[in-house]
Amino acid sequence: MGSEDLNHNLNVTPRGMICKSRLMRNQYTVSLMNEGMRAGLLASQDVMRIQHGLMQILKELIQRYTQGESSSVTTETAESILTSIMYAADAYLFELETPEQAVAQLKSMDVQQIYDRGVKKVSQCFEETKALYKEVMANKLDIPVEAYHLTIEESLPVFLRKYGIVFEAHNTMASIDYPLAVDDMRLQGVFYMKQYLERLQMENDFCSLFDPQECMDLLVNYGKECRFDYRIELFNMYELVLHQAIFSLLSGGAPNCIRISESQFNRLEQRFMSLTESQIHSVLFKGMAQLQQALPLYSRLKAYMDACRLNLVHRVTNAAKHSSLRAVVITEREKSEQSMIISFHEEDRLSDIALRKLWHEIMACERVEDKVNLILSRVHSLHDYLDLLESDCLLGDEYDHLFHSFGNMELAILAKLIFYEELRGDSRDLRSILLMAISYESEWHMEFVRSLGRMDPERVQAIEKVMDAVDYEQMTFY
Amino acid sequence: MHLSRIFRGLLFPTQDMVSSELLELNEKTREYGLILTPLDIEQMMVVRSQVLHMYGRVELGIEVSKRLIEVFSASSFIQQENYADTLNELHEVFYYLRNETEDRIGDMKLIDMMMVLFEEECEGSLELLKSKLEEYADAFRRELSRTESSQEGEDGEWDLRI
Repeated sequence: MGSEDLNHNLNVTPRGMICKSRLMRNQYTVSLMNEGMRAGLLASQDVMRIQHGLMQILKELIQRYTQGESSSVTTETAESILTSIMYAADAYLFELETPEQAVAQLKSMDVQQIYDRGVKKVSQCFEETKALYKEVMANKLDIPVEAYHLTIEESLPVFLRKYGIVFEAHNTMASIDYPLAVDDMRLQGVFYMKQYLERLQMENDFCSLFDPQECMDLLVNYGKECRFDYRIELFNMYELVLHQAIFSLLSGGAPNCIRISESQFNRLEQRFMSLTESQIHSVLFKGMAQLQQALPLYSRLKAYMDACRLNLVHRVTNAAKHSSLRAVVITEREKSEQSMIISFHEEDRLSDIALRKLWHEIMACERVEDKVNLILSRVHSLHDYLDLLESDCLLGDEYDHLFHSFGNMELAILAKLIFYEELRGDSRDLRSILLMAISYESEWHMEFVRSLGRMDPERVQAIEKVMDAVDYEQMTFY
Repeated sequence: MHLSRIFRGLLFPTQDMVSSELLELNEKTREYGLILTPLDIEQMMVVRSQVLHMYGRVELGIEVSKRLIEVFSASSFIQQENYADTLNELHEVFYYLRNETEDRIGDMKLIDMMMVLFEEECEGSLELLKSKLEEYADAFRRELSRTESSQEGEDGEWDLRI
C-alpha cells in the first residue's frame, strides 16, 4: 500500500462520484463509508451491515485475544483490536484500483471476506519487509553514526520480532531514531516500516556510489562545521552526501565527488549570494538533473531525489540570506588540524574497585594539594575523571585547584563536553559562552565555569584553539 | 470512541434474552432459597453497565454474571434479602479485580478465588473481601513486575533466517 497523495483539490463533486480529497489514508475504510453515503453509493443499511460485520469480527478477535479465559477486555484493548481490524480492511480496499471499486466491494462483499483479504495483504507486506530488512542489513553503510546503526541493528529487529498482524497491525512499536530525508508519517504499522526500509535502501544505494573515505571526511568536516559530535547527532547521511554532490557539480567538481575545496566554496558563495530565490531554485534543480544524468541511478531513486529538491532550495536560500552558506556547503579542512594527541589514555581506565578505593583515599586527604596530587597521579582516563568529578569527592575551591593543575588539552576536552549544547551549531566563542547565564546540571560544571572565568584571557583563548582542533570522535570515554 | 456503548448496541444480547437466561438460573438457585426477579435482573444489568463504564471495560456477554450467580448462590452467607444487592456489589468487585490483575487471570479462576475468600476468610463481609482482594492484587502486580523485569533482556535477536 503506497502513500500517494489522496488530496486532489476537487471542491464540488456531484452525487454518484467519490470526492478523493475527502478520503483519508489512515482511516480509509471509514472515510470511504462516509463518502459512499454522501455520494449515494452506499445506503444506511449498507453501513449498518458493514458496522455489524466489523463488530462481529471484533467479538471473535476479543475471544481469541483472551484465549477464551475471559469475556471482557479493557476499552483500550478493544479499541486497539478494532483499529487493527480497520488497518487490515484499509490494506485491502486501498489496494483496489479506484475508490469507486472499493465502495462497490464494501457494498457487495461480506465484511469478513474484506477483512480476511486485508490480513493476507498485511501478512504479505510483513514478509516483504523482512526480506527487505535482510538486504538493508547486508548493505548498510560503514559510517560511525550511532542512530543509523541502532535503528538498523536494534530497533528494526524489535519491530520484526514483536509485530502482531492480527491484534496490533497498526502499531509501529519501534523507536526509529535515524531520520529519512523524506518520510511519510501518515503510514502506520508494517506499511510504514516497509516504506522506511525501501527509502533507507535507496539512500544507502545512493551513498554507496561515493568513496567511503570521502564520506568519512565529509562527516568529520560536518561535525567541525556544526561544532558537534556527528556520531551522536540525528541527521540524514544521504541528504548530506546528495547536497555535497550537487554543490561539487555546480562548482566544477566531478559528479561522484563530495569534497568541496575552499576555492569551490568561494565560487558557490559568490554565485548563490548574487541570485534571487527563483534563480537559486532553477540552478539547484538543474544541478540535480545533471547529477541524475551523470550517476548510474535507477528511476525510483531519481524520483526520491526529486522529492528532496525543495528542501535543498530552502536551505540554500536561507543560508544565502543569512550569509551562513558554510553550514550548508561543507568544505574540506586542513588535515593537520586533526593531528591532536589526546592526553587521556583509554588503556589506563581504573576498575570499579580501584576507583572506589581512590575515592576513599581522596576523601581521607585533609589538604587540597594532596587531593589534587592523588588524582593527577592515579587518574589517566576521561571516563574515570568524569566519574570522580560526579562523585562529589571535591568541594568548592578544591575544584579550582584541580582545574588549574590541568593542561589546556584536558580543559579543552572538558569544555567541549560541558558546553556541548552551547557550541552545537553556534559560532559563539568560549569567552561569550562563559559569560552566559546557564544553569549547570552539576556542581563541578559550575566550578569549571568559575575556574575558566578566573583564568587569563590568553589562556582561555589558547584553550579555545585546542577545542577547535579537537574533534569529538577523538575523545574516547575510556 | 464509546466502544462499550457501540458494542453493547450492536452485539450485546437484547434485554429479553438476558432476562430469560438469568431467570433460568433461578431453577438452580432455588435449592438455596435464592431467587432473582425480572426487576432485580434489570437493575443488575444497569449496575453492570455502570461498572463496566467506570472501569473502562468492554464485555462480550453475560457469562460473568451467570457465573457469579451460580457460584455465590451456594454461599452460606447470602440470604434472599441481600441476594440481589450482594450480586450487584460482586459485579463491581469482579471488574475492579479484573483491571487490577491486568487481565492476567481468567474470569472463572477469579470468581472461584473471590468465593473462597468470601466464604473462608471474610465470613460473608463484602468490605473485607474488597480489602483482601486489594492486597491480593498488589502482591500479584509486584510479582508480575518482578517476573517481567527478570525476563527483560531475554528477548533474543531477530533471527535473519526467519
